Amino acid sequence: MEKQLLRFYVNDQEYELFINPKTLLVEALRDHLGFAGTKRGCDTASCGVCTVMVNGMAVKGCSVLAVQVSGMHITTVEGLEKDGKLDPVQSAFLDEGAYQCGFCTSGMLMSARAFLNETPAPKDGMEIRRGIEGNLCRCTGYNSIVRAIDSVAQGKYREGV
Amino acid sequence: MTTNKYSVLNTRVHNVDGYAKVTGRATYTFDVKLPGMLYGKILRSPHPHARIISIDATEALKFPGVKAVVTGKDTLGVKQGIWRRYPELCDEQILTIEKVRYIGEPVAAVAAISEEIAEQALDLIDVQYEVLPFVDDPMEAIKKEAPMIHDGVERNVNITRHIEWGDVEEAFEEADYVREDWFKLGGQAHMCMETRATVASYTPDKKLTVYTSTQSPYYHQALLAGVLGLRESDIRVIAHYVGGGFGGKFELDASQFCACVLSMKLSKPVKIVFTREEDFIATKRRTPMYYYVRTGVKKDGTFCAREARVFTNGGAYTGMGATALYLTGFFHSFPYKWKAYRYDGYRVYTNSLPSTSMRGFGAPQAMFCSEQQIDWIAADLGLDIIEIRRKNAHTSGYEVPGQATIASCGLTQCLDKIEQWIKDRGKLPKNRAIGISAAGFMSGGIFNWFDSPYSFSSAVVTINYDGVVELHVGAQDIGQGSNTTMAIICAEALGVKIENIKVHSGDTDHCPADLGAWGSRQTLMAGNATKMAAEDAKKQLLEFASAKFGYNIIYDLDIKDGWVYNVARPERGMHYTDLVKEALRGKDGQRIIGRGHYTPHRKGMISPAYSYMVQAVEAEIDVETGKLAIINCTTAHDCGQPINTLGLIGQLEGAASMAAGYGYLENMPVEDGKVMNPNLVDYKIIRAPEMPACEIIEIDTYEPEGPYGAKEAGEGLTNPTAAALGNAIFHATGLQMKQAPIMPEMIVNAFKEKKKEGGKP
Amino acid sequence: MIHDFTYLRPGNVKEALAMLAEYHDSAKIICGGQSLLIIMRQGLVITEHLIDIKGLEELNYLSYDSRAGLKIGATTTHRTIEKSLLIKEKYPVLVAMEEKLASIQVRNWGTMGGNLAHADAAGDPAPVLIALNATVKVGSSAGERSVPLEDFYPGLFETVLSPDEMILEVLVPPPPAKSATAYHKFNLLESDQGIVAVAVSLSVNDAGICQNARIVLGNAAPVPIRARNTEKLLIGKKLNEKIFTKAGETAGEEADPVADIHASEDYRRHLISILTRRMTKEAWNQACQA
Repeated sequence: MEKQLLRFYVNDQEYELFINPKTLLVEALRDHLGFAGTKRGCDTASCGVCTVMVNGMAVKGCSVLAVQVSGMHITTVEGLEKDGKLDPVQSAFLDEGAYQCGFCTSGMLMSARAFLNETPAPKDGMEIRRGIEGNLCRCTGYNSIVRAIDSVAQGKYREGV
Repeated sequence: MTTNKYSVLNTRVHNVDGYAKVTGRATYTFDVKLPGMLYGKILRSPHPHARIISIDATEALKFPGVKAVVTGKDTLGVKQGIWRRYPELCDEQILTIEKVRYIGEPVAAVAAISEEIAEQALDLIDVQYEVLPFVDDPMEAIKKEAPMIHDGVERNVNITRHIEWGDVEEAFEEADYVREDWFKLGGQAHMCMETRATVASYTPDKKLTVYTSTQSPYYHQALLAGVLGLRESDIRVIAHYVGGGFGGKFELDASQFCACVLSMKLSKPVKIVFTREEDFIATKRRTPMYYYVRTGVKKDGTFCAREARVFTNGGAYTGMGATALYLTGFFHSFPYKWKAYRYDGYRVYTNSLPSTSMRGFGAPQAMFCSEQQIDWIAADLGLDIIEIRRKNAHTSGYEVPGQATIASCGLTQCLDKIEQWIKDRGKLPKNRAIGISAAGFMSGGIFNWFDSPYSFSSAVVTINYDGVVELHVGAQDIGQGSNTTMAIICAEALGVKIENIKVHSGDTDHCPADLGAWGSRQTLMAGNATKMAAEDAKKQLLEFASAKFGYNIIYDLDIKDGWVYNVARPERGMHYTDLVKEALRGKDGQRIIGRGHYTPHRKGMISPAYSYMVQAVEAEIDVETGKLAIINCTTAHDCGQPINTLGLIGQLEGAASMAAGYGYLENMPVEDGKVMNPNLVDYKIIRAPEMPACEIIEIDTYEPEGPYGAKEAGEGLTNPTAAALGNAIFHATGLQMKQAPIMPEMIVNAFKEKKKEGGKP
Repeated sequence: MIHDFTYLRPGNVKEALAMLAEYHDSAKIICGGQSLLIIMRQGLVITEHLIDIKGLEELNYLSYDSRAGLKIGATTTHRTIEKSLLIKEKYPVLVAMEEKLASIQVRNWGTMGGNLAHADAAGDPAPVLIALNATVKVGSSAGERSVPLEDFYPGLFETVLSPDEMILEVLVPPPPAKSATAYHKFNLLESDQGIVAVAVSLSVNDAGICQNARIVLGNAAPVPIRARNTEKLLIGKKLNEKIFTKAGETAGEEADPVADIHASEDYRRHLISILTRRMTKEAWNQACQA
C-alpha cells in the first residue's frame, strides 16, 4: 500500500496530508486534522451525521475517499461561523431550539446550509423536509429544524433586518 | 394560556448548551482523545445459548499492535445489575465466564494501538463453545421442557408482579359487557445518534476516570465500583455531552466495563465505541410483550373490571426489566378509575438480547392494548369515544387504590380540548381518520431499587463576586435540556437573568449525586433540589439586604430580574450584583452557597406526580397496499407549569417521532435469537418527509409537588401515539390491529381475513 | 474495515481502460463509491487495486439529440440528472426517480454508471431505464460494445462486464410520440429502496390503440425483469380498467420475488399487482394525452 499526498481546502484553509488512500473524508477531517464537529453514527451511509460540504455540495464524509477531494473546498460545521459571527442557520437553530442531544446537529446544519444555498426560497415545508431527508434525528422529530430553516428562508436573519 | 407571571419560566430562552452544539464545539465521549490512548474491540458470541469451554488468545496477543486481551477470568466475575437492592436480579456478568445467553454477548475484549488492529485481533481469538438448545420466545421459554437459561430459575420466569384492587370477579359479574383481546407488542431499539462509547483511564494509584455516554454518571460510578473492586469515590465519571439515551444508557454496558478492565490491566486510556451494528444487537431494547386483556363495563360505559395477564420477553438478563414489568401493569390502568383491577405480569428470560427501559417504560405497550380496546368496546356498545373516557377519567384527588394519589390532573380538560379539535377538523376524506389515546405518566419513581444512600437529587448554588451563579447539579443532560431547565428554575428562584447561571453537570468529581435522567424524574426532582438551593442562597443574600434596609427579610424583600426590592415599594431596592458584593464583604470573602435536595417521601408507591394527555392522530391508509401516513398529531397536554418552552415543544415532537416509529415503522424481528435488521437501512427510523405536523394544546394545572407546579413532559408523550394510530386505522377501516408495530403487510392480511369472515370485525 | 489497496487515478478514459487491461480482476473501479465503500467496509469486497474514475470529466456529460436520444456519461451524478431541465422536459420519469433516490448527499456524489454497475436488485434507476429501452455503452482497451440494459444483468449483483471493461455511457432512445412512462416504488420511507418497484412505458397510436408496452418489475426477482406476458395483454388494445386490473394480476404471477424481513413473497406479488395496475393506468392516461 502506497500512501497518497492529498492537498485540499478545509474552511478556506489549505491542508496537506500524506495518507493511506482508504482513508475516508470524515477520518481525514476528524483524525488527521482535528475537526471533531463532524461525527460518525452508522456503517451504512444512512444517518447523515457525517455530512460536510464539498465544493458547496452536501456529501456524507463516511462515503467519500479523502483522496477524491484533492484540490476541492470542504466546509465543515466549524467553517459556518465567520470571525465569531454565526451563520444564519446556526442562529435559527438556536432560536428554534432545533437540536437536543446535538449529535446530529453538525451534519444537519451542513445539509440545511447546502439546501438553502441551492434553494433560497423553498416553495413549501415539504421541500425543506426533502432537503434534510438524508439526515436522521432521534431527538427532535425534525419539525423544529424545519421551522429554523424556514425562518432563514423567510429572511429573518438577513443583514440589516 | 394565561399571561406568564414568571420572568424566566416558560420563555423561549436558548438552550444553555446551544452555542456549543450549533458550532461543533460540543465534545462527546465519541470525540474524547487522551494521550497514549488505545482502542478496544469486543468479541461477541455467535450463539444464542452455549457453554464457554475455552478461550485461547495466544495468536491475538502475538499480533503486532495488540496490547492486551481480557476475558471474564481476568475480572472479579461479579454478577451485577442495576436493581442492586435485589441480588437475585443482579444476574449479568459482563464478559461472561461460564456461558453465553444471547447472540452478541461479550466474551473477550482486545486493546490495541488502532481500531483496525483491535478488530483484526478479534478474528485471532479462538473460543470453543458447547452449543446448547436455545429458546427465544417467552411463551416457549415458560414451558416446562424449555432450556433453563439461568441456573435455578424455574420456567425461566425471573420476575413476577401483581397489582390488584377491588373484587375483580364480582365486578365482572356486575358488568353488562365483557370483552377480551390478545396483543403482541414488539421491541424497539433506542437508536441513539451517539452509539455506546467509553474512554476509561486508570492510573496505578487506583484512580479511574471514565468518559462515557451515560444518562447517570452517579449510577455508573457506583456500578463500576462494584464490579471493579475500586472505591466509589476514586472513580470519576465524566459526561459533558451525551448523544441521546432514551432509557438505554443508565445501566452498565460492555463499553464501560471492558474499557475499564483493559485500562486497569494496562494503566493506559482505552476507548471503546460500539459500531451501529453492535448498538443494535448487543445493547438492551424496549421490552416486547404478550398482553391478554379482559375488560368489563356497564352499558353506559362505566368501567367495572379489568384483568390483564402479561408475559414479557426479558431477553437474557434482567436490566431494568423489573421496573418495566411493574409499570406496564400500573399504567395499563391509567388514566381511568377502575372499580376492580388485576394485573399479573411475568418476565421471562429468553436467549435474545436483554430488554430494559425505553422511553415510556412499558406504558406505550400498555396503552396500545388498553386504548384500542376501549375504542372497540365503545364501538360495540355504540358509545362516544370521548364520553366513555370522560366518564371514567382520573380526577384530582383520586386514589389509585394502594398505589398512588393523583394530585394535579388536567385529563378532563385534555379530553374537552381534543373533542373540540376533532369537531373543528370536520369531515375527512375517505380512508383517513382520527384516532385518540389518553395517557398519564410518572414524574420520577419513588422506589429506591438502586439502593442509593444519597438524596435522589441534589444541587449546590454558589454566587460569585460578579453575580454569576455556579449551579452544580447531578442531573444529566442527554439532550432533553435538563441543564437549561435547571438554569431556568435557578434563575427564576434567585430572581436573576438566565445569563447569570452557569450549569455544571456530568462530572462526579464536581457535581452532587443524582439518580440521573430516567423515568422523567429530573424536572420534578432535580428541579425541586435546584429551587431549594437557589432559595437557600437567596435567603442568605437577603439577610444582607435586610440588614442594609432594615426590612423584615421574609415578607418584605424579593429579587426579580436582578433587582432586590421591597415588595410593597418595588422602586426601593438595589441591584443584585451590588448585594452580592456586600454579602461577600460581610462573609469574610466567602461566597454564598445554597444547598438543595429532594427525595420523595410518603407519596405513594410509584411517583410523586403524574402528567396527563390526550393525543389525536390523523392518519391516512392506502387500503390496497396497507401503507400508512400520519398527517397530523395533536396533543392536549398537562405537564403542570411549563418550564423550558423550547424544550417542551422539542420533547413533544421528539416523543411523537419515536412513538410513531413504535406504531408503524420500527419493526425489529428477532429470529432464532438473531436481530435481523441491525442497521439503519433495514431498521426504519422516521425521516423529515414522513414526520407529521404536531400541535400542542397546553392545559393549565398546578402540581403542588413540582417546582413551580411543574411535572414531567417528554416521556409520557411516547405513551399514546401507537394506540392513537391503531384507533385511527380502526375508525378508517374497521380493522382491529393487535400487533405493534403495525406493518403494511399486516393490514393487507387483516383485510383478507375480514373478507373471509364476511366482513365481520 | 476496508482492506488496503493500491490506489490508481487515471487521467482519462484511455488510461483507465489500459489499467483495467493490465490489472483486470485484481482491480475494481470506484466512482462515487456510495455503494462500493459500504461493502468494502464490510469486507465483502477486497481488491488489490482501486481505479478511481470519479475525476474523469470526459464521462461527465448529458446530451440529447432527437435522433440518438439522451446520452448520460457514466460519471454523471444523480444530482445532475435530477436537476437537468433537459431531462425534466424529455424524460420526466427519470427526474422523478432521481428525486427519490437515497438522499441528496448520495445523489451529489454517486453516479449513474456506478449505480448500474453495482447491480443491486432493488436499485432505483435500472427498472426505469429498462422501461425506456436504454442501452449501456461498455468500453475496454480492445474497443466498445453496446448492451441493452435489460440484458446487462445475468444474476444478482452480477453484470455482463468482463474484468477489463467499464461502463462509458447510458443511451436512452428518444421517446416515441404519444408515449409515457410511469414509475413507482413501494417503501415505508419515501427515499428508501423499493420493497418492489414497477416501471411501465406505453405508446399509443392515433387510433387510440396501445402500440408498445414495456413493463419492468424491480426487486421482484434477483434482477429487474420484463413482465412480457403482461405486456402482451396490452398491445393492440384500447386499454380500460378491466385490462389494467388483468395486467396487475398477470404481473403478480410473472414476478419471482423473494421473502425477506420487509415482505413475504405473497405480499410482494400483491404489491406488484397493485403497482402494475396503477402504473399501467397512469402511463396510459399520460400517453393518450401526449
